[in-house]
Amino acid sequence: MSIRSQLLKGILEGCILSIIHMQPTYGYELSMKLQKFGLSDVSEGSIYPILIRLQKEKLIIGEMIKSEAGPKRKYYHLTEEGKAALQQFIANWEAIKQPVDKIIDKGGEET
Amino acid sequence: MRTKEMIQLNNEKRKRLNEENLKLYEDMLVYVRLNTRKDEQQTEEVLLEILDHLLIAQAENKPAAMVFGDDPKAFCQELLDEIPSESKKTTGFFIAYIVLQFLAIISLVHGLLGFALHYFFQLSTAAYKINIGYGSIRILINLLLLYIIIHLILKWIKSSTFKENKRSNTVSFLYTWIICSLCIGAWIAIPLILPIPDFGASFHIPLLSFAVIGALLYLVSMILNKKLHILP
Repeated sequence: MSIRSQLLKGILEGCILSIIHMQPTYGYELSMKLQKFGLSDVSEGSIYPILIRLQKEKLIIGEMIKSEAGPKRKYYHLTEEGKAALQQFIANWEAIKQPVDKIIDKGGEET
Repeated sequence: MRTKEMIQLNNEKRKRLNEENLKLYEDMLVYVRLNTRKDEQQTEEVLLEILDHLLIAQAENKPAAMVFGDDPKAFCQELLDEIPSESKKTTGFFIAYIVLQFLAIISLVHGLLGFALHYFFQLSTAAYKINIGYGSIRILINLLLLYIIIHLILKWIKSSTFKENKRSNTVSFLYTWIICSLCIGAWIAIPLILPIPDFGASFHIPLLSFAVIGALLYLVSMILNKKLHILP
């Protein structure tokens, strides 16, 4: 797997945890939210392998719940481990975001 | 929701797909479901999820490529890479179930057919001589051949997915058919051309009790299936 897609996968995982943390979400809704935030580069379905992995790691739990519109849908919510993993992701992201932003802003010049 | 219900729900919902999406989705379904060693519950859950997704996309006039990317086969493979494997216990029960069914059918057919041949046509004997050594080797060979046949057919079905080209389907079908025929031929030919010596104890059992043993084995496999939900 290329570094680029591996990096993207990790970030996508963090974003998915973050969205599910806001409120229990089902697959389609989740991919729409990601797109609305501007992550339109990823195909809608690419969340599903990640959702399976997050379930395997017990960070999220999926439950079939009757939705307001009628049909039963699989809604995901975070577990305690999931919340911890999200905090970890946010911390990692903050640690990398600022330095990267600075490097790009200054064009690599030392301040 | 149990897998059986999910499969039914999937069958129902699938009817709402248009022709193009249905063809694609069914290819994906076959490709993913054929991995018999994957956790069935998880497999059916995700299959239902992507079906729901595709249905909404279809209602919004979005092409399937927007959902699954340009390479649906690679997408399925990604799903499969993540779906956990079935537990060893479940796999064990599944294999035990297949073996029991196989032995049950063989003894049932052998017993009933032999009995009919003997009583109506005075062919063959009323009792069947079983030698433990010879019998178990033949059973092992037959199970091996059965495994090869099942494996080949599954492989062929899997290879026939995601193909526009009808001709290559026919070629691979013929190929699978020939190999399966060879296996069935071997099934019959092995005891004829390969003299396996008798060893260990031998005993005679009446043909009808052979059939009864078959029926009992069949019953056991049915109970096993009902208790453990091996097959959905």
